Amino acid sequence: MAKFSRIAIANRGEVAVRIIKACEELGIETVLLHSEADINSRAYRMATKTICIGPAPTAESYLNIQANVNGALAGGAQAIHPGFGFLSENADFAEAVQKAGLTFIGPSPESIRSLGDKVHCKDLAKEAGLPLVPGYQGENQDVTHLISQAEKIGYPVIVKAAAGGGGRGMKLIKSSAEARELIESAQREAQSAFGSPKVFLEKYLDRAKHIEFQVFGDSTGKVVHFFDRECSVQRRHQKIIEEATSPSLTDDLRRRMGEAACAIATLGKYKGAGTVEFLLQDGEFYLLEVNTRLQVEHPVTEEVLGVDLVKMQILTAQGEYVHDPKQIRVPRGHSIECRIYAENPYLGGVPSTGLLGQVQWPEGPGRRYEYGFAEGDTITPYYDPMIAKVIVWDESRPRAIQKMIRVLKDSVVFGVHTNIPYLIEILSHKEFVMGTMTTRFIETYFSEPLKETPLTETDKKVAEGALMQLRGGGSGAAETVAASPWASYWRGV
Amino acid sequence: MEVTVRIDGVDHKAQAQLIKGTLWVHHNGRTFTMETGAGRKSRKKAGGGSSDQIIAPMPGKVTKILLSPGTQVSAGQAVLVMEAMKMEYTLKAEIDGVIGSVNCTVGEQVALGKSLVQIKKA
Repeated sequence: MAKFSRIAIANRGEVAVRIIKACEELGIETVLLHSEADINSRAYRMATKTICIGPAPTAESYLNIQANVNGALAGGAQAIHPGFGFLSENADFAEAVQKAGLTFIGPSPESIRSLGDKVHCKDLAKEAGLPLVPGYQGENQDVTHLISQAEKIGYPVIVKAAAGGGGRGMKLIKSSAEARELIESAQREAQSAFGSPKVFLEKYLDRAKHIEFQVFGDSTGKVVHFFDRECSVQRRHQKIIEEATSPSLTDDLRRRMGEAACAIATLGKYKGAGTVEFLLQDGEFYLLEVNTRLQVEHPVTEEVLGVDLVKMQILTAQGEYVHDPKQIRVPRGHSIECRIYAENPYLGGVPSTGLLGQVQWPEGPGRRYEYGFAEGDTITPYYDPMIAKVIVWDESRPRAIQKMIRVLKDSVVFGVHTNIPYLIEILSHKEFVMGTMTTRFIETYFSEPLKETPLTETDKKVAEGALMQLRGGGSGAAETVAASPWASYWRGV
Repeated sequence: MEVTVRIDGVDHKAQAQLIKGTLWVHHNGRTFTMETGAGRKSRKKAGGGSSDQIIAPMPGKVTKILLSPGTQVSAGQAVLVMEAMKMEYTLKAEIDGVIGSVNCTVGEQVALGKSLVQIKKA
């Protein structure tokens, strides 16, 4: 297969930046396929070429298959990278890309259909003999029928988008009283986020850990796994903090789960980067779903294994990535990722939108920042509230936690509120520190909006002094000195 | 920008920026805001309706209106559904009463702080 000279990116935000960087390193040009709302973003400024594929609403741009294919063709690309979310797990899109004579950077449409559709995936898992959580995955989507199935499984029951991922279109039903409202709501969210209202039901495990395995199928079809990640810290089924490797697995469990992950991916003829998600409770694991795409939390795997999954995806699509059987991969140290959401933690996490002011990510060893927006860009209400990811690596889990807390404290985001104070609280929580958290960690300990600690007298005086300096005013309650770089330099000498 | 403020002879370093009348400060590992009175009017507190009305807690789209004017409503009951950043948010009544007026339509993009529903107290 010929090498790509230009790749189209059917995505936005930080993942678009991540893909552009991988392409740049490989000497490949990029075409960003963006909506009207995303002109003020880093990816827009970094891409070799940009093509507007539609207005802000996702159905008219990022979820529009034809607009994306046409954009890639018009932009002179030979391949499309779908990132994650949007059309990344849409088999019809992968097929449309192929039909247009382009390469879809990801698994084949057949693999996406058999593994990515959560209902078909469970059939495949049964074939492979993988343990499953009890549930309903039928075609009958009538709400009344779904409610009766939920009753049969027994509450609590979880309702999920069949075509989805990332927590959208996913609800926890605790009793029959709220079943109808939540199922209908999940169907609407599924339609809006993934273009299909199909949902399925599953028994909710009440003290499970979320463990997933990164799998990778090379150009020859050989599948290996790149170890595990733990993502038990979730709110409304949306991951907040992820880490590699999981603090919860014994060597034996890790081996068995890794083998199971490879077995199902091999059965689904998987090519490229994918993730097999499991729930682990009382030493038993159950297949949750397979995500047929790059995962938001892929950097933690990259950090502990020293690999570049995005470049591997591109090379695999070019037909030139083959696993080296002599290379034995062993995870080194510990890596944690925190998702930075534009939301107000003191108001229960309502989205915060607007013009981004100053943004500072403190540099240092073992720190990595993936972000899609910079000062002067606008955070709009149209898309996912995740504006950045902070990733750290250190020798051990306790040191990685310690580093992450420091890094978050030193990070500056002005203009929109972020969940940083909330993340710091979570990272400091006893259960997280011990590594015993389950998927109910957030609802158990952080169901209330974060309490804002009152400002100290010093904080207030600093604010007053800062305001005077910003306005170029004179002295007042606090004595101020000019913000000359030399002033701060000489002081420490 | 970086500022240094001297308090009782001790220098405190901070980052600060004025954005539309709000002062943003990062000091001692923490970001906080202060309204300075300048710029736009301080907006209504987001996050909940003030007793007799339901206020949009964020900018977003109204996806479902569950109760129409004249309907009885009790505190905690869901009144409408909004979508913002691809997530659904159910907005609930804070008091018992009767739905007075509904000031939005399904599909409408509403601004933060907009009064969406008026409730007549029981």
